[in-house]
Amino acid sequence: MTEPKAVPDLELEFPARPEFVRAARHAVSALARLSGASEEVVEDIKLAVSEACNTAVAANAEAGSEAVELRAFDSPARLVIEVMDRGANPERTVSGPPEELDTGDLPFERALSLPIIRGLVDELAIAPRGDRGAVVRMTVSLEGQGR
Amino acid sequence: MLDSPSVDLDLETTQREGFSIVSLRGEIDVYTAPLLRQTLVDAIEQGAVNVIVDMERVDFLDSTGLGVLVEGLKRVKTREGHFAIVATQDKILKIFDITGLNKAFPIHSSVDDALSEATAGS
Repeated sequence: MTEPKAVPDLELEFPARPEFVRAARHAVSALARLSGASEEVVEDIKLAVSEACNTAVAANAEAGSEAVELRAFDSPARLVIEVMDRGANPERTVSGPPEELDTGDLPFERALSLPIIRGLVDELAIAPRGDRGAVVRMTVSLEGQGR
Repeated sequence: MLDSPSVDLDLETTQREGFSIVSLRGEIDVYTAPLLRQTLVDAIEQGAVNVIVDMERVDFLDSTGLGVLVEGLKRVKTREGHFAIVATQDKILKIFDITGLNKAFPIHSSVDDALSEATAGS
């Protein structure tokens, strides 16, 4: 996996409250449409972003309501979306093709969100973020999407 | 906060042939799901044992919405009732497929289908 480019095409910071998740998914879906994604892929991205944001909102709210951060990087062949929280660190780093990730050891609140994200994106990586929090990086292929 | 006009979810409950039909329009997510939960809980507490949730005009459904539907299904089942979903849009059906919950809920293509299936099976 290559690193995303330095300047995001979309960067959001929003309060760790449920009502802001809608704004986040609509912003990312607007970028996906701009990038030429089909409506089906836009819907997949909306759901994956929402699930990642739900988890981040819950993690941050528990940790004291810091802002959730989101970045999206558009490149000719794919869209990379990162959702960053400041919750307790994931118990371990998971990375790889979605179908090969074993999420059994992750905290319970991710139990439903992660399988959903796995079913929607082409690549999923979850890594600790410094000394506290996690980065959920989702990659969606845009090949064959009119590019 | 839940009755704020900014909530992008409309709910309407009607009665038909012994079923409570909850028709939804808008987005069901982490913010609006509590409103759906309250509507289902109220209907069931007020005696509804047969519930059909019509999602034909739902634009978005996430895991929190699914969790509410699972809770509704459980509550109705303890009363030996029916709980069915009406959905035909791929974007809504997909989340049921990914989570395997398409096996937990009877999913129908229309309220009429849901009613005839449920009444035929009882």
